[in-house]
Amino acid sequence: MDVKRKVDMIRVNPQDWPDGTPAWKAEDPDLGYDVIPAARYTSPEFMKLEWERVWTKVWLLGGRSCDLKEPGDYICTDIGKESVLIVRQRDGSVRAFPNVCLHRGNRLRPEGLGNAEDFRCMYHHWTYGLDGCIARIPDLDTFPQGGPPGMRLPAYPCAEWGSFVWFSLNPDVGPLEDYLAPMPQHLGPYHMERMAWVRDITVEWDCNWKASVDAFSEVYHVQGIHPQLQWYLDDTNAQIDVYERHSRYLVPFACVSGRVALPSSIPPAIYEIMVKAGMDPADYDGRISDIRRDVQLFKREHGASQGKDYSELNDDQLTDDYHYTIFPNVSLNVHADDVMMFRQRPHPTDPDKMLYDIWMFELVPEGEEWPERPKHKRFRHGEKSIGQVLDQDAFNLPTVQKGMHSDAFPGLWIGDQELRIRHFHKVLDDYVYGPGGKSPGDL
Amino acid sequence: MDLGLQGKKAIVVGAARGIGMAVAETLAREGCDLAIAARSEDGVKDAVANLKRYGTNVVGKAVNVKKADDYKEWLAWAIEALDGCDILIPITSAGSGLGSEKYWNNAFEVDVMGPVRAVDAVLPTMTEQQSGSIVLIATTSAGEAMGGPQPYNAMKASLVTWGKQLALYHGKDGIRVNVVSPGPVEFEGGNWDMIKGTMEKFYQSQLRQQPAGRLGTPEEIARCVVFLASPAASWCNGSHLVVDGAFTNRTHF
Repeated sequence: MDVKRKVDMIRVNPQDWPDGTPAWKAEDPDLGYDVIPAARYTSPEFMKLEWERVWTKVWLLGGRSCDLKEPGDYICTDIGKESVLIVRQRDGSVRAFPNVCLHRGNRLRPEGLGNAEDFRCMYHHWTYGLDGCIARIPDLDTFPQGGPPGMRLPAYPCAEWGSFVWFSLNPDVGPLEDYLAPMPQHLGPYHMERMAWVRDITVEWDCNWKASVDAFSEVYHVQGIHPQLQWYLDDTNAQIDVYERHSRYLVPFACVSGRVALPSSIPPAIYEIMVKAGMDPADYDGRISDIRRDVQLFKREHGASQGKDYSELNDDQLTDDYHYTIFPNVSLNVHADDVMMFRQRPHPTDPDKMLYDIWMFELVPEGEEWPERPKHKRFRHGEKSIGQVLDQDAFNLPTVQKGMHSDAFPGLWIGDQELRIRHFHKVLDDYVYGPGGKSPGDL
Repeated sequence: MDLGLQGKKAIVVGAARGIGMAVAETLAREGCDLAIAARSEDGVKDAVANLKRYGTNVVGKAVNVKKADDYKEWLAWAIEALDGCDILIPITSAGSGLGSEKYWNNAFEVDVMGPVRAVDAVLPTMTEQQSGSIVLIATTSAGEAMGGPQPYNAMKASLVTWGKQLALYHGKDGIRVNVVSPGPVEFEGGNWDMIKGTMEKFYQSQLRQQPAGRLGTPEEIARCVVFLASPAASWCNGSHLVVDGAFTNRTHF
């Protein structure tokens, strides 16, 4: 690794935190060093395989439970060619249905949030109850064959975990907890249910959805596209862990990368971390390299009085980025005080396009009122800034996608810092071709 | 030109990096014995090891200039260790900072009282030997606004005024006091190195304001500081030298 300084990062001893997020380094699997074929990102055939064997088989993130507070609150979200209604029931449970009228196929609701007494199609007023049962078919007596089977919308498996609501297009999908394992153990201590929406944006990107997952699965790109972050985090000290389906890296924040010289004054972004923690940087007399640890100690001492319960988090979690990928399409930067996550959705028909959802939440101190939920915004890449760092992340993706089509580019040449990308494609292979079933010549 | 520095005894406060390190190195190369200070033990240790290459007597010890008693003790130790003092160059700075009253205290303690306490410590020795040379380091940000309303600029400005007063007052004892104001200086680990990495547009805008299209180097400042400190500058007293590659607009009539 090209570094200027060897940084000896202080990390928690995993044994000291037996009940919290496991901090252990998982043993790296041997996933080989093969090229990952570029055609996986461009081929309509592979896209079709992904739809049949991944998107319609796994659990998918639908939204946040806090958007479904009252009976009748619903989230309408699209995945590929499907649209799904997720509805809070009168008994407090959640159910999910296809967002389609069984009469002539009309969508019952546009994508977004709302509250409804029932779902009435705007075409002929077929009306469905919150539980998906058909409540009314106007002029039912003119349908000698009666109503559609069961007089109800088919149900999709739907469940809640971690302040999120999940659904699956697969009626035979296993339990959500089994699918997510070990994420609940890892993410539970953050108590994301205490965090409120601060940003809800969808950007249409001109790249395959996997190019986006890849982009958020390694910190190798920091030196290239986020040079300013080298005075904010240490990209040379990332711990990478891959699990059965999901993966993570742990990146120390509030410190300076070993790729640049240690400055004598507090870098602006680290200054902001200190201010956010409640510290006064003007008062700070320690070394720049001690700030990360001192922020941890300060938050540990003062968190409770700020209404922030960090008791289940280890010290590293008070500063660092615990970044998870929940297969197939959720990337979360999880921090003690906030979460910045992305849901990466394929375009219904075009492998060169995708939907990039940015969801950001912030911890609401105990006793404080939750901020008003921001309205969802949607635009195309480049129309608006999504912030310096994410703009930098987005910058290369359209040209990456163009390059994927080149006859001169057989595929991705992946290094050890990108193990999570290799792992992601391995998991994808196991779904597409069956566990270990990928043959030579398969994409 | 012989600067006449061979065998002189110099104290440099803040010599572990940047301009201070370049000053110490230039002095050592010219044959000065040195006592140096910096905040961190490691910084001092590395600097001393580096400076010893030039074969003069180099001593160093870590000190926090903000802790007045420790600092005064350090100064007494340095004079003792060198067995005198011909040259004093106090460079440490609390740096910039905006928005908190504490930055005023920090700048006062480090940028102002750092030099004041050092000057007070060496004056008896210099007066007794009827010779000595002091160079204070201000900044072009004292003469031209930069970085918003912050104590760094104002506190550094006071050194320009005070330096002249010292020169007038102690000239009769053979003590010269001069001030150098460097413009923006870039070196690895320095502020401008970080600004280049974190605020690239701002950095480029600064380069465009530089007639030479670049920032200064520590060595370019150090050579001017060392010249003023040396016997070769015997008729320079109470002067204020701006070393900025013509970055500032002001004409010095």
